[in-house]
Amino acid sequence: MLSSYLTMAAILFCIGLYGALAKRNAVVVLLCIELMLNAVNLNLIAFSKYGVVPSLTGQIFSLFTITVAAAEVAVGIAILIALFRSRGTVEIDEFDEMRR
Amino acid sequence: MDSIYSQYAWLIPLFPLVAFLIITAFGRSLRATSIMVALTGSLIALMLSILVLFEQMGSGEEFSERFTWMTIGNVQLSMGIEVTHLTSLMLVVVTLVSFLVNLYSMGYMKDDERISVFYGYIALFTFSMLGLVLSENLLTMYVFWELVGVCSFLLVGFWYTKPEARAAAKKAFIVTRIGDVGLLIAILLLFWYMPDHALDFASIKNVFDGQTGTIAEGITTLIAILIFVGAVGKSGQFPLHVWLPDAMEGPTPISALIHAATMVAAGVFLVARTYDIFEASQAAMNTVAYVGAFTAIFAATIGIAQNDIKRILAYSTVSQLGYMMMALGLGSLTGGIFHLFTHAFFKALLFLGAGSIIHAVHTQNIQEMGGLGSKMKITAWTFGIGALALSGIPPFSGFWSKDAILSTALDHNPLLFVVGLVAAFFTALYMARLFFLVFTGESRSKAHAHESPAVMTVPLIVLAVLAVLAGFVELPWSGLGFLGGWLLPGEEVVHHGSELVMVISTAVGALGIYLGWLIYVKGTISRDVVSSRVPGLVKLLERKYYMDELYHAVIVVPLRGIGQALQAVDDYIIDGVVRLTGAAAVWTGRAGIRMQNGQVQTYGLITAIGLIVLIVVIVGRRFW
Amino acid sequence: MLADLPVLSLITFSPLLGILVLLFLPKQRSRLLKVTAIAATLLPLILTFWLYANYHPEVGGAEFKELSTWVEVPVNKETLAPGVTSYMLEFQYHMGVDGLSLPLVLLTALVSLMAALASVHIKKRWKSFYIWFLLLEVGMLGVFLARDLMLFFVFFELTLIATFFLIGIWGYFNREKAANKFLIYNGLGSALMLMAFVMLIATAGLTYVQTDNTASLIYSGNYENLLSNLTNPEALVNVLPEMLGGNNPFYLTDGVKWAVFILLLIAFGIKLPIFPFHTWMLKVHTEAPPAIVMIHSGVLLKMGAYGLLRFGIFLFPEQAREWAVVLAVLGVINIIYGALLAMVQKEFKLVLAYSSISHMGIVLLGIASFNEIGLQGAVFQLVSHGLISALLFLIVGSLYERTGTTEIPELGGLARSMPFMSGILLVAGMASLGLPGLSGFIGEFLSLLGLFDTMKWLTVIATIGVILTAVYVLRAVLAITYGAMPERFITFKDARLIEAVPMIALLAFIVLLGVYPSVLTDTLQHSFDVLINQLNARVGG
Repeated sequence: MLSSYLTMAAILFCIGLYGALAKRNAVVVLLCIELMLNAVNLNLIAFSKYGVVPSLTGQIFSLFTITVAAAEVAVGIAILIALFRSRGTVEIDEFDEMRR
Repeated sequence: MDSIYSQYAWLIPLFPLVAFLIITAFGRSLRATSIMVALTGSLIALMLSILVLFEQMGSGEEFSERFTWMTIGNVQLSMGIEVTHLTSLMLVVVTLVSFLVNLYSMGYMKDDERISVFYGYIALFTFSMLGLVLSENLLTMYVFWELVGVCSFLLVGFWYTKPEARAAAKKAFIVTRIGDVGLLIAILLLFWYMPDHALDFASIKNVFDGQTGTIAEGITTLIAILIFVGAVGKSGQFPLHVWLPDAMEGPTPISALIHAATMVAAGVFLVARTYDIFEASQAAMNTVAYVGAFTAIFAATIGIAQNDIKRILAYSTVSQLGYMMMALGLGSLTGGIFHLFTHAFFKALLFLGAGSIIHAVHTQNIQEMGGLGSKMKITAWTFGIGALALSGIPPFSGFWSKDAILSTALDHNPLLFVVGLVAAFFTALYMARLFFLVFTGESRSKAHAHESPAVMTVPLIVLAVLAVLAGFVELPWSGLGFLGGWLLPGEEVVHHGSELVMVISTAVGALGIYLGWLIYVKGTISRDVVSSRVPGLVKLLERKYYMDELYHAVIVVPLRGIGQALQAVDDYIIDGVVRLTGAAAVWTGRAGIRMQNGQVQTYGLITAIGLIVLIVVIVGRRFW
Repeated sequence: MLADLPVLSLITFSPLLGILVLLFLPKQRSRLLKVTAIAATLLPLILTFWLYANYHPEVGGAEFKELSTWVEVPVNKETLAPGVTSYMLEFQYHMGVDGLSLPLVLLTALVSLMAALASVHIKKRWKSFYIWFLLLEVGMLGVFLARDLMLFFVFFELTLIATFFLIGIWGYFNREKAANKFLIYNGLGSALMLMAFVMLIATAGLTYVQTDNTASLIYSGNYENLLSNLTNPEALVNVLPEMLGGNNPFYLTDGVKWAVFILLLIAFGIKLPIFPFHTWMLKVHTEAPPAIVMIHSGVLLKMGAYGLLRFGIFLFPEQAREWAVVLAVLGVINIIYGALLAMVQKEFKLVLAYSSISHMGIVLLGIASFNEIGLQGAVFQLVSHGLISALLFLIVGSLYERTGTTEIPELGGLARSMPFMSGILLVAGMASLGLPGLSGFIGEFLSLLGLFDTMKWLTVIATIGVILTAVYVLRAVLAITYGAMPERFITFKDARLIEAVPMIALLAFIVLLGVYPSVLTDTLQHSFDVLINQLNARVGG
């Protein structure tokens, strides 16, 4: 039972990782990061239910994660909008100012 | 009788040294004073030496004294002086010639602006040479041996603005240094093989004289030959003779003092001082004899074809030094020292005479002289005496010493006797050529020649007297060999006075002079009789058997080539590796920069890959 | 009066007094700055002379020892053995002097003063120049006097940094490149040295100190402890097992010994320099200001040889003796290689640089001989070469000031307009080629004499160097001083008084050592007696 959850989470995580590393649109990258976070949430819940020592801690933890993720997305989107306003693009490889 | 003066022999070198120090410190401003200082120093040294000699000739005991120079562990290196019969004789020769040269230079160097420097150098040389003569052990001798070398170098290069003088000075120093290294290695060998690491001549005598087998025969031969290498360098023996003729670039009084009478004889003196080592090894003795004989004839043939008056005399010096070596190699210590003694006077005389001529006509080429006999009577007469002494005509001193050598050669080695005779013939021939070309015939010189001033002619006369008389200290009849009996006390001196040898050597000498007279005065035989038939031979002699060219091609050029090649190695390979290492670091950095492209996704990707590798490694190790 | 004070520290840090004064002086007053700096270098010289006069060779300078704890770090409490109350890593402020370091301290103080005098040719930023200069002197003096590994390392690094700035700011055209190469190469050497030191401290640095109610095990870089631990390992090993219940931390295997020895050989070999680690010093010789090259060639290179002797040879005599042939071969390569290259250089400073390589080869020969004669010869050669090369570069500095070049083909006939300086140059050259009566001969002769006992053929090959040295020295010196003089040199003035004084002073020392070498060899005697006796006791003479 546990393994199917974990497999599902792994697949989600891999899709997210691929998107985060390969997509050029910043919005998509943000979405993919959310995907990875959710894969982690899935793992937390799966272990809290079917793990060796089942307890509620995992589920509560996942609630925290979701909250933090929401906040993070809000900040992320805000930055993106600001960037879009100043640069007129959300293509991620345009942004390498920090290197210079 | 106790030795009174010999105890103070250490003072003798001190006077020239003080003179040198005074001149170096104050000399530049005081020309006349510095001459007087040098003259006084050498005069006092001369007087003391004569006192020491007389004492040693009487019943004075030999005397030696030393002090510790360095103590290392349980080994002591010391410096010391020793007065023996041989050294007291050399002391007088050195100080006498030095004093006369000092006197002579007052005239010869009168117009040189650096005359005080010149006198300073001579004083330094006299000091070093006296130190060499008085040395009690080999280390002390080596120290002074090098010092005389450096003085010779300084004086050869005295006219430093001339490129030839610079080259000659350099050559003199470097070529003799090759010999010096031989002596150095000999000292190293002796130090480690001698009992108690003793280097003094007395111990050397004890160890080698007794034939006790303390030191193996092979080592003995090696030591002797290495010492001889040192002597070869200093005394201009083949194959290290090349520096001596070039050294004639120095002022002529120097050629007389250093390159005829004293320093070049130091090699002979060295062999004589360590004679017991040589006597312990027949192979070494043979080497000395053959090298000496070869040098004698080799240099004499070159002397015939030269035109520079000083070079002729220089090759003659080389040849006569070969004679001395031959005598030593044949076992006749007396013969070698006797010839050294007479040669010092007549060769110094010849050089000073040559100086007088050069002073008058301002050229050194004998083809440009001629007819000087009538204008420079004193020079001509004294020079003639020197030439006769050198040619071995009785009763001049050279005859007696040459006879001593030749009769030894006849006894021991007839081949070398013949070589000696041929060399004597050539000697007489080139001296006749020199004398007749310079003093007789028509004047070919543009300069208005005149006799030199008294300060120059007085030394000539003194030396001429000595050149006549010096031979009588050792006559080849029993009971009259004073020198031999005195030098080798206690040893049975058997002197074969062979009338046959005397007649033959006189005849050979006279024949050489007669032939020279026929060619250069009478003209019966054409001057180019040889050069027209075998031009190659004359060319070969004129070019000194191409020895300089040979050395240039075989040693100088390859050495420079190796230097250049190593320079390339140093620049490109060794420094190249260093630069490559540096560059590798830079390249690694560049690769790092390329990864740092500012793209967050790239960083993420690399992090992810790194993570995966890490996991694989860590997990993989479980299954390894 | 002086005897009650910590003389060694006073010597080492007395230049700091000069720095303190310099800091308060206005930076344009070049004359004042110079006088202050010269006075500051005079202090350690006077103190060192006092030290030399009061040094007793038989005792070996033990009375001057200074020792106090500098940094203390407690380590790894869990390994505490029963009975051991504390377990420490300790760095000490430990200064000492013996026959090996005394001549080098004297050399440093002397050359520093001469270099300070030679710094009259410095044209800019005098204040910071002299501050770095005095710091450099502190570092050099400290290196020769420190008896704790870490203290030694600190002083050693101080010299690196000071030299880096001195070359990089006041050098010639390619000064920055030269400074970088110097720093990187020597930094590498220092890294290896540090590695070796850490290994040493972690193994042989252990001491066991017991008082009434404490018993502590201390790791330290104390040189004397290291020496006694290494020469007599049983003493400590026998105490420790009871302490640690069979858990013996003192494991200095032969492998570790070899590793440390080789690391030290490379680290100090770079400094010496040993072929093929020599290329960095060529740049330094050509680009650094002459006053700094005087110090560099005169003292800094000696630190390499000193370190090799002090830590490589004295601490690991068995390893070193086993490698004696290697050392000798390296020495011979240095001699011949340096001489051959010196022969073909066109730049006089490069001739001198390669000649330094050649002369340092003689030091290696002396070390490789492993008898007292050779070892004393090596140290003698160090001091003598320090003086001679300082003198040579002093002259080079004055020459360059006038001619604006040191390329040999452009020079010539200088004896005419500058007889005094040319004369000194000639004598310095003669000293360099080992003329008896001058100091170079003694070092060379003793080294060869020592080596001849053990390695005859190598010695014979090395003597070729004697000839080659004469060739390149005469070639260069005669090309500069003899011959015809270019017209433009006719107006040159001979040495001024401030230039002549250091020249004569250095020459006086060169002559003194050459004529009466006992002034130096007698001080060396004790230290080498001890070493040789130790060595013979352990491996059998």
